Amino acid sequence: MPLILNGLPPLHWAAAGAGIAAVTLLLLVLANRRLGISSGFEDVCSLVLRQSYFRREGLLSTRRWRLPFVVGLVAGGFLSAAAGGGWTPTWALGMFDERIGLGPAGKLAWMFAGGLFIGFGTRLGGGCTSGHGIFGMSNLELPSIVTTLSFMAGGLVTTQLLYRVVFA
Amino acid sequence: MLVYLLFGTAFGFILSRSGAADYNYIQGMFLLEEFQLYGIIGTAVALTAPGLWLIKRVGRTWRGPVRLDPRPFNRGNVAGGLLFGVGWSIAGMCPGPIFVNVGEGKIHALAALAGALVGAGAFGALYGRLQQAFRLPPLVVGTGQG
Repeated sequence: MPLILNGLPPLHWAAAGAGIAAVTLLLLVLANRRLGISSGFEDVCSLVLRQSYFRREGLLSTRRWRLPFVVGLVAGGFLSAAAGGGWTPTWALGMFDERIGLGPAGKLAWMFAGGLFIGFGTRLGGGCTSGHGIFGMSNLELPSIVTTLSFMAGGLVTTQLLYRVVFA
Repeated sequence: MLVYLLFGTAFGFILSRSGAADYNYIQGMFLLEEFQLYGIIGTAVALTAPGLWLIKRVGRTWRGPVRLDPRPFNRGNVAGGLLFGVGWSIAGMCPGPIFVNVGEGKIHALAALAGALVGAGAFGALYGRLQQAFRLPPLVVGTGQG
């Protein structure tokens, strides 16, 4: 199945997995940093919010590396598009367009709602696919294994409901 | 700073080209119709695990001794995980791919990013109240980097 992005062919899963492992391990070996992206949301919040949660030392000391890292993620997405058929702003969303089919305003509302769950849920759970799913599971940490099973279950049930029941 | 920017760029490029930042591949994973994401995460863990074991055995990195503080389990792991899973399915993106999709030029990803920032902001603002219900660590610690 081609990617939504310019219909590009995807990398082989083994190559992509090896690349992710390489970045994860190099980040630890060269910079002594534990991979984890969802804390980046807190880092961005800490630039404007003044609650004590966003002023704690643990957050302010790690945002020095994580903010440039997440800016890099944006740059990586841009490069990938620019080098692979060209960068163009788009609303294209694959099977969402075929089955759920909301226009731009509906899509923004849908995505904002999804984002609320992601931002609140990842921080309550203490991490996301990268911090728990890749790093924590690789480090055999029980909370990470439990959290990963929980978010896989949450996603499985929701997608099955959306695509096999509501928009079947 | 530049090195982290480069790490992020490499990571973002891989996510973008692998299907991990692709709505169809995420739904295909949760529909149990596409192996791609299971292959990616499985390979990443299978290779990262022995690497971490070795790094911990050596005990040090380029920038000082390895410190991987154990993270205590709490009720937030299950509740937060379930909520995040719902959001991952709705948006078809987890946190890394939100940033990647913004870079790719997917306009709707900006709304997912806005929602995620409001969600994380609300979590931080409500930490004191959520702490007891979910047995979360003290505020100075937070729920942990991840």
